[in-house]
Amino acid sequence: MTLLSVERLSVGEGAFLALDEVSLSLGRGEALALLGANGAGKTTLLRALVGLAPVRSGTIRIDGEDVTRLPPERRARLGIGYVPEGRRVFPGMSVRDNLEVAAREGAAARRRLLAEVYELFPDLAAREETAAWQLSGGQQQMLAIGRALMTRPKLLLLDEPSLGLAPKLAAELFARIATIAEGGTAVLLAEQNVARAARVASRAVLLRLGRVIAEGDAAALAASPELHDAFFGA
Amino acid sequence: MTTLLLQLLLNALALGAAYALIALGFVLVLNATSAVNFAQGDMVMAGGYVAIALAAVLPLPGIALLPVVAVLMAALGALLSLLAYFPLIGRPPVAVFISTIALGVMLEGSANAIFGAEPRAAPALVGAGAIELAGIHLPYQRLAIVALASLLILLQHLLFAKTQLGRRLRAVAQDREMARALGIAAAPLIAGTFALGTGLAGAAGLLLANEWFVTPTEGTNYILKAYIAVTIGGWGSVPGAVVGALLVALFEVGVSSALSYSVATALLYAAVLAILFFRPQGIFGEAAQARA
Repeated sequence: MTLLSVERLSVGEGAFLALDEVSLSLGRGEALALLGANGAGKTTLLRALVGLAPVRSGTIRIDGEDVTRLPPERRARLGIGYVPEGRRVFPGMSVRDNLEVAAREGAAARRRLLAEVYELFPDLAAREETAAWQLSGGQQQMLAIGRALMTRPKLLLLDEPSLGLAPKLAAELFARIATIAEGGTAVLLAEQNVARAARVASRAVLLRLGRVIAEGDAAALAASPELHDAFFGA
Repeated sequence: MTTLLLQLLLNALALGAAYALIALGFVLVLNATSAVNFAQGDMVMAGGYVAIALAAVLPLPGIALLPVVAVLMAALGALLSLLAYFPLIGRPPVAVFISTIALGVMLEGSANAIFGAEPRAAPALVGAGAIELAGIHLPYQRLAIVALASLLILLQHLLFAKTQLGRRLRAVAQDREMARALGIAAAPLIAGTFALGTGLAGAAGLLLANEWFVTPTEGTNYILKAYIAVTIGGWGSVPGAVVGALLVALFEVGVSSALSYSVATALLYAAVLAILFFRPQGIFGEAAQARA
């Protein structure tokens, strides 16, 4: 069954269109890579899905429900977990508070969720009383992902999670993301590193200048001429 | 000599504890909205008059009126956010300066029309009397001010540090958009922050309005004290606001007992200018930076 369906979505203000009639769909538990160069519209698409970018036309459905005009907090409650570009952890709050604040359950369930996140990211458990702004970039990224998982999302949106991380850390992070996807959470992963994205997602959508220019098997797409064009221009 | 100093210290502590509630409420709203709420001083005044009006129908000691005053003032704070903050989201910050000043002026005018310009006194918290301890005269009123203000500050701290509601309030203050994307409804929490900040101002109004009386125009005085306290403590720092308020009161009581109240006020402004010049981030400036 389709979890997320986006139909002819256009986003932008004034004369500028950041996304131009983008359509895609994602099944339950499926992982989809969103590929494209800087400025292709990956971040805008994720922000539009969350409800943070002005939709001009088209529809977004979650589990068949039209959420196009819903505010971000209502969409999150329908099962969208968001890990934004630049992590955006709550800087003055401790690691533990950053995680707990996202949970909607009572104290006991919150502790169980917390234990699950700590199991996935043991580094966070070791630093649970540390203020988030004092963490390294990699730890902040883990925190941002852990925070989204605390909302028990059906669909996890990840915006370039490896950006600015050392290759070894990035590889580790992608292994965890693969674990999350295998656990049954659907993942929509915006990424510039095609090889890395293909390790998590079997299917990919290629964006260029706000349009979908190719769609299909991630590994095949990685070797396609469209991919070359999307990154280096036709 | 020591006795006199201890006595002055208690005066400063009582005044400072009440100032701390005002500054605390001010800084909570500041952090949640980046808006400078200039109505905060007039809310102190309003709290004093609400206590006086309540006492006319419910002849109880101040301590029993305090929860009622705080709740009524919190409701007024939520109203303040609906009238002076939410309609102006997306406008430059100066718009909220002006809207809160305007609301403060309306409160001042209403107080003048209803209660008149004469100074009025709210009921004492626990009644008249004092403890004599080793030759030191400790009035119940001042001890009760210190105790109740400390309790309210402690409750505020526990709310923010230990509860899920407090975590959500902090998350909305630190990154509203991100908080919403996580499913946290920001608008009611912001209205709630205004309610809390105004409830604290109203409580301070009741605490101050017995010994120091209340007049319709005194709001300006209190907002200046709160503003100075927050500047000294570090813009945006919650512990800084409390410490800053205590310092302001200590300075005011100390200098005015040695010289005069006008000299104290003049020197206070001079001290603030010096702080802005030599340490513009205030005493707890680090916390404000970490927030950004």
